[in-house]
Amino acid sequence: MSATTTRLGAASRHVAPEAGRARRRRFANLAATVLCAVATAILLAALVSILVTLVSRGLGGLHLSTFTRMTSPPGSGGGLLNPIVGSIIQTVLAVLVGAPVGLLAGVFLAEFGTGSWVADVVRFVSDMLLSAPSILVGLFVYLILVGPVGHFSGFAGAMSLAILVIPIVVRTTEDMLRLVPTSMREAAAALGAPRWKVVMLICVRAARKGIATGILLAVARVSGETAPLLFTSLGNLSWSVNLNAPMSSLPVTIYQYAGSAYDDWVQLAWTAALLITAGVLIINIIARLGLGGRDST
Amino acid sequence: MNDQIGQNAAARPQQGVSFAQTRGAPQALAPGRAMLSLRGLDFYYGANHALKNISIDFPEQRVTGLIGPSGCGKSTLLRVMNRMYDLYPGQRATGEVLLDGQNIIAPGTDTNALRSRVGMVFQKPTPFPMSIFDNVAFGVRLHESLDRAAMEARIEDALRRVALWAEVKDRLRAPAAALSGGQQQRLCIARTIATRPEVILLDEPTSALDPISTARIEELLDELKVEFTIAIVTHNLQQAARCADQVAFFYMGELVEVAPADRLFTAPREKRTQDYITGRFG
Ligand SMILES: Nc1ncnc2c1ncn2[C@@H]1O[C@H](COP(=O)(O)OP(=O)(O)O)[C@@H](O)[C@H]1O
Ligand SMILES: [Mg+2]
Repeated sequence: MSATTTRLGAASRHVAPEAGRARRRRFANLAATVLCAVATAILLAALVSILVTLVSRGLGGLHLSTFTRMTSPPGSGGGLLNPIVGSIIQTVLAVLVGAPVGLLAGVFLAEFGTGSWVADVVRFVSDMLLSAPSILVGLFVYLILVGPVGHFSGFAGAMSLAILVIPIVVRTTEDMLRLVPTSMREAAAALGAPRWKVVMLICVRAARKGIATGILLAVARVSGETAPLLFTSLGNLSWSVNLNAPMSSLPVTIYQYAGSAYDDWVQLAWTAALLITAGVLIINIIARLGLGGRDST
Repeated sequence: MNDQIGQNAAARPQQGVSFAQTRGAPQALAPGRAMLSLRGLDFYYGANHALKNISIDFPEQRVTGLIGPSGCGKSTLLRVMNRMYDLYPGQRATGEVLLDGQNIIAPGTDTNALRSRVGMVFQKPTPFPMSIFDNVAFGVRLHESLDRAAMEARIEDALRRVALWAEVKDRLRAPAAALSGGQQQRLCIARTIATRPEVILLDEPTSALDPISTARIEELLDELKVEFTIAIVTHNLQQAARCADQVAFFYMGELVEVAPADRLFTAPREKRTQDYITGRFG
C-alpha cells in the first residue's frame, strides 16, 4: 500500500517521457527477477550440497547395529543406541516441561496481559531468550543445576533444552491466539462462559493446530542443540538412562566423534548427523502437512 | 421439518396458542407482559454517546424488530441487554434495564447467569471448533450438569426446534465447521435456545445468508416466540414487517418511534420514520 503510494508519488513528480519510464521499469523488473533467482539458486545449492554430503557420508555407516549397539572404543564396532535414547529422553522431558510453561505464558500474553506492563516485560524477556545464544543458556543451567550438585546430569540437559523450548512456544501460542476472531470469543461469552473458559475451551481449541505446530518446531529446534548440553548432560560413553547422571546425546556425540582421529568414529558422527537431520525433517513435514493451515474445525 | 417444529410447539400447549392465532393483527393483541423494560438508558463508548435516553418494553412472547440506518445504535442496544459491553473497558451504560423487574445493569449482577437468561445470536455464524453435539452442549454444560440421556434429549430438542435435526442427526460428532452457512446459523440459534433463556437477541442473523436460509430462520422465529421473548435487529424492512409484532425505529442513538409493525409501516407518526421506511435516507 505505502510502497504503491510512494511509487505513484515519485512517478508523478518526475515527468519523464512515457517510453523512457516504461523501459526503466522493464529493466528494474528484470534486474529484480534475476537477483531473486540468483539468491534462490545460492540457497538451494547450499542446501542440496549439505544434504548430498550428509547422505553420501552418513548413509554408509547406517546399519541395524547403529540402533542396537552402544558407543564403544574406536575399532570395536560401536553404534549410537545410547546417544539416540539419550537425545529422545532429554528432548521429550524438555518439551514436557517447556511446552506447558510456554503455552500458559503465551495464553497470558494474548488473553490476559494486553496493556499491562507485566505482559510487556514477559514478552520482552521471552523474545530475548528466543534470540539468546544457546551456549548462554547452557552456562546458566550449569551454574544452577550442575555446579551446586557437583556433577553433570541428563536432567540438567533437559532443563537447558526446556529453556529453549519455552520462548518458541510462547511466541507461536500468542500469535495463534491472536488470530482467533473476536466474534468467537463473544459468542462463547454470550452463552455465559466465564473468561477463563472462553480462553481455555474455545480460543486455545481454535488455535490448537497452530500451537501444536509451534511445539513441533520447538522439538525440531532443540533436538540439534549441542552447546547447552556440553555444560549440562555432558555426554556418556556407556548406557545410562539415569537422569541424575551424565547422559549421552546425538549432537554431543557428533561433536566428540567428528573431531576424533578414528575413521569409524568419524563415520558414526556423520551417521548421527544424518539421523538428526532426518528426524528434524520428518518433524517439519508433520508440522506442515499434518497440522498445517489455519484451523477451521 | 416443519412438522417437527409443529410437534414441538404442540407439545407445549399451555404457552402461546392464543398469540399464534392472533398473529397478523398485532394491534389487536392483548399487551404481553414486558419481559424486558428499558428506562432512560444511556450508553457510552468512552466519550461517544451512542444511545440516548432509551425507554422501550420488550413484551413476552413477541418479536420486537429494531430498525434504523447503520450506526444508529441497534447492535449497541442488544449488547447492553446481555451486558456484552462488560467485556470491554471504557464502555458503560446508565439508566435501567429491567429483566423481570430486576435492573441488570446495576453493579453486582452476575453477568454469566444473566447471559444464560438472555441469549444472543450474531450476524456471522460462529460455530465453535468442536463437534455439532458439543457446540450445542457447550452452553448447557456451563450452567447445568445433566446426565448423558438428559443432555442428548436436550440437544435433540434444540436441534429439532431449529429444524436442523433431520440434517445432522447422523453426524452429531462431525465438526460444526463442515455445515453450510445457513445450517451454522441455525446451529448457533440451537446453541442459544439449548440453555433455555427467557430472551433471545438476534443481531442481523440473516444478513450473511442466502434467501432460502433466511426464509427458514424467519419461519423459525415464528415458532420460537411461543416460548421466548425475541429482539431482532434487521436492516431489511420486509423482514421486520414479516417477523416482528412490534417495531422500533432508531436514529442516531435515539429511539424515534416504537409501534406495532403494521402501524409503524403503514402510518408512522414521526417524519423521520416516514423518511426512513420510504427510503428517503439511510
Ligand atoms: N467498539 C466501539 N467503540 C466506539 N464506538 C463504537 C463501537 N461500536 C460502535 N460504535 C459507535 O456506536 C454507534 C452505534 O453503533 P452500532 O450499535 O454498531 O450501530 P448499528 O448496529 O445500528 O449499525 C456508531 O456511531 C458506532 O460508530
Ligand atoms: Mg449493527
